[in-house]
Amino acid sequence: MKKWISAFVLCLLIPAVVVGGALLFSAKRYAWISLCVACLACLPVFLRLERGQSGARRLILIAAMTALSVLGRILFTPLPGFKPVTALVILTALTFGGEAGFLTGALSAVVSNFWFGQGPWTPFQMFSWGFMGLIAGWLSAPLKRSRLLLALCGALSGALYSLLMDVWTVLWADGGFRLSRYLAVLVTSAPFTLVYAASNVVFLLLFGKPITKILERMQTKYGL
Amino acid sequence: MKAFAGLHPAVTMTYFVLLLTVCMFLPHPVLQGQALVCGALTCALLCRRGAARDVGFYLPLFLLVAVTNPLFSHNGVTPLFFLNGNPVTLEALLYGLSLAAMVVGVLLWCKAYNEVMTSDKFLYLFGAVTPKLSLVLSMALRFLPAYRRQARRVSRAQKAMGLYAGSSMVCRVKNRLRVLAAMVTWSLENAMETAASMKARGYGSGKRRTHFSLFRFRPADGAFFAALLLLAAAPLAAAAAGALNFTYYPRLSQLQTTPAAWVAYAAYGLFLLLPAMWEAKEALVWRCCKRKI
Repeated sequence: MKKWISAFVLCLLIPAVVVGGALLFSAKRYAWISLCVACLACLPVFLRLERGQSGARRLILIAAMTALSVLGRILFTPLPGFKPVTALVILTALTFGGEAGFLTGALSAVVSNFWFGQGPWTPFQMFSWGFMGLIAGWLSAPLKRSRLLLALCGALSGALYSLLMDVWTVLWADGGFRLSRYLAVLVTSAPFTLVYAASNVVFLLLFGKPITKILERMQTKYGL
Repeated sequence: MKAFAGLHPAVTMTYFVLLLTVCMFLPHPVLQGQALVCGALTCALLCRRGAARDVGFYLPLFLLVAVTNPLFSHNGVTPLFFLNGNPVTLEALLYGLSLAAMVVGVLLWCKAYNEVMTSDKFLYLFGAVTPKLSLVLSMALRFLPAYRRQARRVSRAQKAMGLYAGSSMVCRVKNRLRVLAAMVTWSLENAMETAASMKARGYGSGKRRTHFSLFRFRPADGAFFAALLLLAAAPLAAAAAGALNFTYYPRLSQLQTTPAAWVAYAAYGLFLLLPAMWEAKEALVWRCCKRKI
């Protein structure tokens, strides 16, 4: 049943929104369509949480990790772009699986935006951070083994976050996707992309081992 | 003095969803201009503090979006002048203005949304549909202030131990990292205790859960709800009937002056002014009440 819902959303609903939106609005309102797609993409994992048999411990664990990554975003407010959110999402995913990583990432976006301001970009941030957690969960075995791979993953996800959010900026500011504008935005946001990537590497290298150790201890101590 | 924030969350949520839908679905210059002006007015009414700083943010953003569009887009048939051999057209400039009005308008209304739809209302609305997700969200929101307090305590303790020696960038980052690392263990142990306590008190044994904030749907909410549905229906119906089509490229189309279009403009204007009118009405009632004392 759960799988059917996910498959339905991913294979039917999202393409239907894209095609239907393009037909209805003559391909002018990409920003709105992509917003709907970002929301829908988050739906399967949320549904699994809702329907699943996860007990209070797992729910509270996700809430605590979410609050921690938001705290990180708030603690590092003076340094623009230098945020431990992605690193914490990846570390959560490594120990507790991709689904927990996705939820931590997506909910961090919602919760932190109660402080930093909700807007049409919230679903995009939810999807971007959540997606990174999901990928890190899939690749958890090799990532746990090598620190180099972990650092590489951090750098790549920092860059990916920037690339995804820039797509959003272009769609939002132009009403449609224009490559020249995208390249211009990429150039202007390059310093931020670098800071994202560098901060992820720094956080993962400094933080990776001790935090994974703490999380794994929690796992054995409380049987999560 | 926020009468609009006192309405039932379902009413305010419907209002904002409809408003943002019209803002993003109907790119019509008249509607966009109305949304921009009324958005600024509502923001000024709802959130008085920091108005000057907001102008300093939204005005440059407006100009940035408006000016950059004609530099990247060379569609349109009326060239104003040539830049590096590329035409800067009137149509692209006006399209840029319309995009800027939409972007800034939506941002202003989002700001009003943030002011009115606080997290407890959000959770009240979605708690019935997605109980587990809402639980996680509300727990995270509840943890945050506690964690911030604890983080401050940890950093004070570390300062007392002489760990905050330097004031360079690297030192500051290192210090914050140390605080965050200390927080991880503390918060997770704390969370597990919370979970045990919840289990002991029978979490998950009942079917329906109650809320922290209780909202009652009063007659005033019903009146506001009916008004907003009626007023929002006019522009949506007009757009569905094709009375609000407007294109910028290749040539500007004429602005509609048919009766249907006028009704749509007027209804949308009233719709956008609903929060402001509600505030004014409450202020008047309050004044009358005060006079009677």
